[in-house]
Amino acid sequence: MKTVKRASVLAFLVALFLPGIAFSQTDPGVQGGPARAGSPLASVNSSDGTLQFFQNGQARFQDIESVSNSPTGNNGLGPRFNFVQCSGCHLQPAVGGTGPATNPQFQVIANGFVSGSTNAIPSFITANGPTREARFPFFFDQFGNPNPNAPNGGVEDLFTVSGRSDAGSCSLPQPSFALAQQTNNIIFRIPTPTFGAGLIENVDDSTLLRNQAANANNNLGISGTFNHNGNDGTIARFGWKAQNKSLELFAGEAYNVEMGISNEIFTQDRPLPGEDMNAGLPASCLNLSGSGYPEDTTNFTTKAGSDQFATNASIPSDTVMFAMFMRLLAPPTPSTTTPGGATSIANGRRLFSAIGCATCHTPTLSSTQASNFTASLGNAPANAFSDLEIHHMGTGLADNVSQGGAGGDQFRTAPLWGLGQRIFLLHDGRTRNLLSAIEAHESNGSEGTQAELNFDQLLTSSQQQDVLNFLRSL
Amino acid sequence: MLTSLLRFLTFLGLSMSLLAQAQGVPQSGGDFSNNPEAKKLPTGVLLVKGAWSSASDSVTPLPEGGRVDKNIYNNPYFGFTYALSPDWVEKFSGPPPSDSGYYVLAQIRPAETFKRARGSILLAAQDLFFTLTPAGNALELVNFAKDKLSPDYKVEQPPALVTIAGHSFVGFAYGSPVAELHWYVLATQIRCHMVQFVFTSRDDKLVESLIHDMDKMTLPAEAGPISGRGGGDVPVCIKDYASGENVIERVPPVFAERRFNPVPVRIIIDKEGKVKHVHFLSTFPDQAKAISDALSQWRFKPYLHDGHPVELETGILFGRAPRLATSPSTNAGTE
Repeated sequence: MKTVKRASVLAFLVALFLPGIAFSQTDPGVQGGPARAGSPLASVNSSDGTLQFFQNGQARFQDIESVSNSPTGNNGLGPRFNFVQCSGCHLQPAVGGTGPATNPQFQVIANGFVSGSTNAIPSFITANGPTREARFPFFFDQFGNPNPNAPNGGVEDLFTVSGRSDAGSCSLPQPSFALAQQTNNIIFRIPTPTFGAGLIENVDDSTLLRNQAANANNNLGISGTFNHNGNDGTIARFGWKAQNKSLELFAGEAYNVEMGISNEIFTQDRPLPGEDMNAGLPASCLNLSGSGYPEDTTNFTTKAGSDQFATNASIPSDTVMFAMFMRLLAPPTPSTTTPGGATSIANGRRLFSAIGCATCHTPTLSSTQASNFTASLGNAPANAFSDLEIHHMGTGLADNVSQGGAGGDQFRTAPLWGLGQRIFLLHDGRTRNLLSAIEAHESNGSEGTQAELNFDQLLTSSQQQDVLNFLRSL
Repeated sequence: MLTSLLRFLTFLGLSMSLLAQAQGVPQSGGDFSNNPEAKKLPTGVLLVKGAWSSASDSVTPLPEGGRVDKNIYNNPYFGFTYALSPDWVEKFSGPPPSDSGYYVLAQIRPAETFKRARGSILLAAQDLFFTLTPAGNALELVNFAKDKLSPDYKVEQPPALVTIAGHSFVGFAYGSPVAELHWYVLATQIRCHMVQFVFTSRDDKLVESLIHDMDKMTLPAEAGPISGRGGGDVPVCIKDYASGENVIERVPPVFAERRFNPVPVRIIIDKEGKVKHVHFLSTFPDQAKAISDALSQWRFKPYLHDGHPVELETGILFGRAPRLATSPSTNAGTE
């Protein structure tokens, strides 16, 4: 009798908790298997030279840069930098992507890229954490207090070339990361993946404006705007705040800011914010490559080879070829079956739209312009899951950095294509958990609060799981 | 003696120079180990705003100025109050007004301790001065929303006039079969703004109850899906009044910096034709200063109602307007 009673109680408890366990929604996590991205666009081929340009750009994207005396000629690194190689940070799940699982910035001393006697690994760079750049939202005053009346926001490079054997007598300190952390005066950004970037570049402004107008009456509290290029006033679209107009500008800025290499767009070595208003970089840290400025230029003399296209591809500067590589990268290929199965993914896609996520994360921007680069870039849909608008994301995500027309809480709608194989989420890589990333969409001042509430409060656990499966299928 | 004086002056000069340098040059960092108690910035606070809302005075009510207090949402600009159902709260404030004239007035949800009800209430407003939608009144805006509804949704009740708290609203309901959610939109027009209540829930009875509670609202006499065009105790509103012969004197703003954001500005013109109040929906401070300086010099033809000059409210779009032209529709509040 006692045994029967115990069994009944057990059965009751199982009945009570099992549904909860069965339907408890979880992030399916980073999808393994082959990379769903990293290949060139379908129209890229060797007979018109686009493949040779793609391959050349891809190879340069993986070059390890030196300060001077590199046998491969990859000189110009520093005097400050975040890493020595584009693909070090743009690697997940393939070259051109976002930060990898093992952080190469943590290994810079061990790998000899940085001198351990003059540099320390900042505490926010960890072995398995996100690759990051750091910014101080505000300048410090003369006493070491952050001054809210003096906005900064520029990148504070993590490392210096000081102490490297190829850096001469250049001696530079690292920024005061510990003080910045102690005073909450530091924010982080992780690398944006570049798959499909050529399609984003080739979406005409009028398409974006039509999409904005079509989503205007959304009953969700959402009303975004655009960041604009300061030169011609057209819509900018690359970077976490959509601060860059084109891939070439994006590449030129990254080469200069992240790796310290001057180029045809950003023609000088970059001092830190504040340093530029003082004495600038010391003379001993200028022209370290010995070749003058800019360090990355068009290659006027090239060796002729049997493949004329390959020879042609060696002529443009690194910046141009980085941009070309990114431009010709195909968008990620979503899975129709994993995780969760085809039915769950299809259901999740409809739910994603129904609860309002698709208002900002526009599944498809209808069509690109005709392209003069390659056929796949022209008259094609951009399934980026982004409206490329900037939206107020509230105090929970605000980084207090202004870029162009974007204020401290405004961010470009992050394109979600390829999300299934991303490890670190949100602009600063603060979480690996998709549920946490969704949760972060609600806070005071955020346009995402209602849609997040719909997901979090009004869907069943099973429906939420479908949405998560769909997102990780991308 | 002279040497001492020279030494003192040299020391003074050097100190002043160092002090000036220290104060004048922003620091990116440095060795501040002598200040272990450096001041911390607050976390979770927006300190660097981009284009934001502001106004020429702090007395004139603004559309975004409504607040929940003692469980009642009160908006002095629109002149309405809305009592929240028991145990419903405003957990998060909304974003600032957008550059297309959209306002999130309040976002209401059940308190976390109140588990029985699952839903949300969004109070929002869309002005008819800067809307991206080709609509001249609240009824047209709701109809437009219905026409543009994604195929993911199913119309459950086409836009139709209903009476709430003794005032005319347009009601519209749609649902998502896959999400099993329903949206009920109730909109009216006040001062050339569509004021909108959006109820979202999977529970029809809950929404019916919430809508029933709306009968306790107090609304201005003008409220109606077409009729809300100000007047009486508040200015009459007319879209695009600041054009043509209505503007007697126009002084263009002188911007110090070239920017490309739209700068929607809502103004109230007094009976003499001078700008009495300026509300910037979304602007950078330097733009607001330049526009304020210019508008203080503008002169308008006084607007006459029944032969008498009255105060008038309208919108002017400064800056660049990188948007598609909306097809002309019934002008908002054209009398």
